[in-house]
Amino acid sequence: MNAQSPMSSKMIAAALTRRRLLALSALAGGTALTATACSGGSSASDDPNTFTFWSFTGINQGDSVETYKELAPDITVRLTEVGSTQETAQALTTALAGGNVPDLVLIQAGDMPKFMKNPGNFTDLATLGADAIQGDYVDWVIEQVITPEGQIIGIPTDVGGMGVAYRVDLMEAAGLPTNRDEVSALWPTWEDFIATGQRYTEATGNAFIDNAATSVFLQAVSQGEEQYYSRDGELVYATNPIVRQSFDLGLQAIAAGITARLESFTEGWSAGMAQGAFAAVAAPSWMLGSIRSNAPDTEGLWDIATIPGGSGNWGGSYLSIPARAANPQAAWDYIATMQSPEQQLQHFLNSGSLPTTPENYDKPELTGLTDPFFNDAPTGQIFTQAVLGLEPFVNGEFNSEISNELLNALNGVESDGAPADAAWDTAISNIQTAIGA
Amino acid sequence: MTATLTPGRLRKPPRPTATRPVERRWEKLAPYGYVAPFYVLFLIFGLFPLLFTFYVALFDWNPIGEQTFVGLQNFRDLADDPRFWNALRNTFSIWIISTVPQLLLALVLAQVLNSAFLRFASFFRMAMLLPYITSVAATTIVFAQLFNRDYGLLNWFLGLIGVENIDFMSTALGSHLLISAMVIWRWFGYNTLLYLASLQAVPRDLYEAAAVDGAGPVKQFFHITLPSLRPVIIFTVIMSTIGGLQIFTEPLLLSNGLLTCGTARQCQTLSLFLFEQGFGSFRFGYGSAIGVALFAIIVVVAFVNFVLSSRLGKKG
Amino acid sequence: MTITTEPPRNGPAPSRPARKPRRKGIVRVRWYTYAVLGLAAAACIFPIYWMFVVSSVGSAAATQLPPRVVPGGNFPALVQLVFETVPFLRSLFNSLVVAAFIAVGQAFLCSLAGFAFAKMTFWGRDVLFLILVLTMTVPAQLAVIPQYMVISQLGWVDTLQALIVPGLVSAFGIFWMRQHISATISDELLQAARMDGCNSWQIYARIAFPVVRPAAAVLGLLGFVNAWNDFLWPFIVLKSPDMYTAQIAIKALQSNLSVDLGLAMAGSFLVTVPLLVLFAFFGRQMVSGIMDGAFKG
Repeated sequence: MNAQSPMSSKMIAAALTRRRLLALSALAGGTALTATACSGGSSASDDPNTFTFWSFTGINQGDSVETYKELAPDITVRLTEVGSTQETAQALTTALAGGNVPDLVLIQAGDMPKFMKNPGNFTDLATLGADAIQGDYVDWVIEQVITPEGQIIGIPTDVGGMGVAYRVDLMEAAGLPTNRDEVSALWPTWEDFIATGQRYTEATGNAFIDNAATSVFLQAVSQGEEQYYSRDGELVYATNPIVRQSFDLGLQAIAAGITARLESFTEGWSAGMAQGAFAAVAAPSWMLGSIRSNAPDTEGLWDIATIPGGSGNWGGSYLSIPARAANPQAAWDYIATMQSPEQQLQHFLNSGSLPTTPENYDKPELTGLTDPFFNDAPTGQIFTQAVLGLEPFVNGEFNSEISNELLNALNGVESDGAPADAAWDTAISNIQTAIGA
Repeated sequence: MTATLTPGRLRKPPRPTATRPVERRWEKLAPYGYVAPFYVLFLIFGLFPLLFTFYVALFDWNPIGEQTFVGLQNFRDLADDPRFWNALRNTFSIWIISTVPQLLLALVLAQVLNSAFLRFASFFRMAMLLPYITSVAATTIVFAQLFNRDYGLLNWFLGLIGVENIDFMSTALGSHLLISAMVIWRWFGYNTLLYLASLQAVPRDLYEAAAVDGAGPVKQFFHITLPSLRPVIIFTVIMSTIGGLQIFTEPLLLSNGLLTCGTARQCQTLSLFLFEQGFGSFRFGYGSAIGVALFAIIVVVAFVNFVLSSRLGKKG
Repeated sequence: MTITTEPPRNGPAPSRPARKPRRKGIVRVRWYTYAVLGLAAAACIFPIYWMFVVSSVGSAAATQLPPRVVPGGNFPALVQLVFETVPFLRSLFNSLVVAAFIAVGQAFLCSLAGFAFAKMTFWGRDVLFLILVLTMTVPAQLAVIPQYMVISQLGWVDTLQALIVPGLVSAFGIFWMRQHISATISDELLQAARMDGCNSWQIYARIAFPVVRPAAAVLGLLGFVNAWNDFLWPFIVLKSPDMYTAQIAIKALQSNLSVDLGLAMAGSFLVTVPLLVLFAFFGRQMVSGIMDGAFKG
């Protein structure tokens, strides 16, 4: 290297005119001043009438919060939609590990078993009065959040009753029935569903469903008495015949060429929905909102049939209060009010989330509800039927890992051309690595 | 050198004061005070975490549960973990695919930009720095669209010339190419400027003398240009190695935040794997073991770098 | 963490020999030179332009074939949607706070430490400087888990100081300022100032800093850009959307249940615009700053 010369700084000085330097320092100085206004955000609050609430996106909790404002006008709810269900659970975990915890948090059912492992991180809702209202909720749903010692960690907000959303116009173009009862009759079983798909694809040359992983496998695997864990909580994912059969159904759908190779919730999936890239999608009650916003031009062209196998649940969530919450009482008042059977029914009518309170399932408001976007389908009836027919299975700590690896293996075959005959073994060995078994 | 001082300042020096013993003691301590902020912050946020990584790696450490001492078990698990070897492979593959073309391209462009009598030179230089000020997050969202399987611009062009749509994200090679394209796009202009600065420092008489001696452009390049660029080339190689081992945001955002980057982890890098284990599955111990492994890799790479560049030095 | 990750890629040793007057006719710029450069410039500009096209049309622009390359009129509507979906204004403000503090901190603390290393003699100086140079070669990213634990112990999770404090001073910045100070300020001048009774702080504040202020400004500018664009560390320590920086906010836009590409692109464009504006004013300074910092010969 050469000896250092004083040239360069001088040249910068020349290039950097005085005016610009002034502008630069004004910019820096100005923001430094205003910055002090921002104290760097603790989410905790000392005000007993204010509490913080973390939710995930796409579930419309803002609507409930608005309602609560009318019911309890002097309470301020600070709602933040953190991100996807998984991201919300991760944010909660890091917060529990040492950050500012929210007073109230929405947790998706699949993430719950992990938090159940360390119940000390949460307020036992029984101490706040949950034991008195526990009977209002569907047994198997609330049992998922009761520890062996009897602590109640969450209150269920909704269940994801299943249906199949399909495009009436596309079915008609393929020469298939369009009436929802006739369509439901096309597929009492998953084999029939795939066969119908083949008829559609042969007639039109287009894909019938979005993807095999969530529109076939995930629904089929949720229809047994046991899933990845046995009744005693043993891991049985590798031996339970229902898991294997559902996986093979997924492979069968891929081999039949009826899938659009669009993974759920990706941008291609949203775009494909708007453009009619597929005619049907397995849809839980909470997905109807996504269809509406992804494909606004298809209003009235959709309808909803029953899910093959007759029953199913995808998702569903719970409200919990972290142990370190600054204002647990205000959070509990919110739960007690907004998750009462009356309010759950109201929330269903507003947003479509299916109540977890069985006394609502026969109410005429619920059974009589129809949705014009979906060709006036009686959504309340269809989705509650799917939940009532459900045989609940036992969940465990590694539910989401196991499920993710199985879905991944199917997506690998469908989108990435991984060999189908090795997919099952790949999935099992990936699960073993992931859960450290 | 006083050239850049304003004359006024020279004529009006600060008021002389008698230096008292107390002040002299302070004066002795002052430089430590001036450099202290860096070392204090580095101790807290750099060195301590680095050492603590080795400690945490010996535990089964659940941030919201228990911490159990497991000795070297995490490292044994890591050695048997195909996901780790996969991430290692991906990291090196992306690093090579992105670094080599990037530096070659920068070398060529710097040469071209160094032409005498070039018009719009300032415009070209600024245009090439634009990617550098664009964030990786924004870049990834744009590139994901440009390379999209069904509606991507690139596939549309390829379709015009009869090539079937390529699903870049579905294969290891495709996704590595896509990530590398982003890295190259972001950094080639920056490196071009570094090379250009070095080229401008090479006296033109050298070339003229060589031309007189009958050396062609190729010979000139190898005998004059390349040797003068040696320090800056080594520097950029080291920097892109450090950068390459840390690629994280691109694969994360490409796979819609799924932490695996593809169904078969085809583009999961070491950084992303560390994050997945640490902050996705909250296995702090196992994640730290990955950090330790990353550290070992960096030491090895740095050693190889050192040997290679000192060899290069002997040759030059 | 900003202390050692991603040291901006430039080095020391500013030197630029005066150019010889060129002889006429020896080198003529050929048309293909412009073709190559034009292509490279287009490649740099196009993705940013495309970002604007999609944000001004909506996701339809991204999914229609043949693709649309002319901007549309939906930009205000999409921007409004961005602000409705996430607290984006707050995120931009958070980014500005973090980047501004880091820019000022780097310009000040790095020039101060650089001054001490360049112009003061003290016991252990050379060892300390060697340590400083070594820290630049270890990517701190491998220690993110304990770094997170430190932040958590300090109670700084989900706060902006978790981003600001570790980034206030950088090894690279000190290195760069030291080179500039030792190259531009003569020892005789400092000696004279000392004779006049200036203490070291006065020498820094009244003589050294004013001289290297342009270099410190460029350093601050680069610090601003890097802090504004940082992703991993904010992604780890910021948890609630009110505290997100703009980069994390576009990630949140992208991961909404139904991904709307127009939305994500509009967010990305909004995040890029402030830097484009900054670049329009100070781009030349950044270019010469980077080139002056480069290794030469």
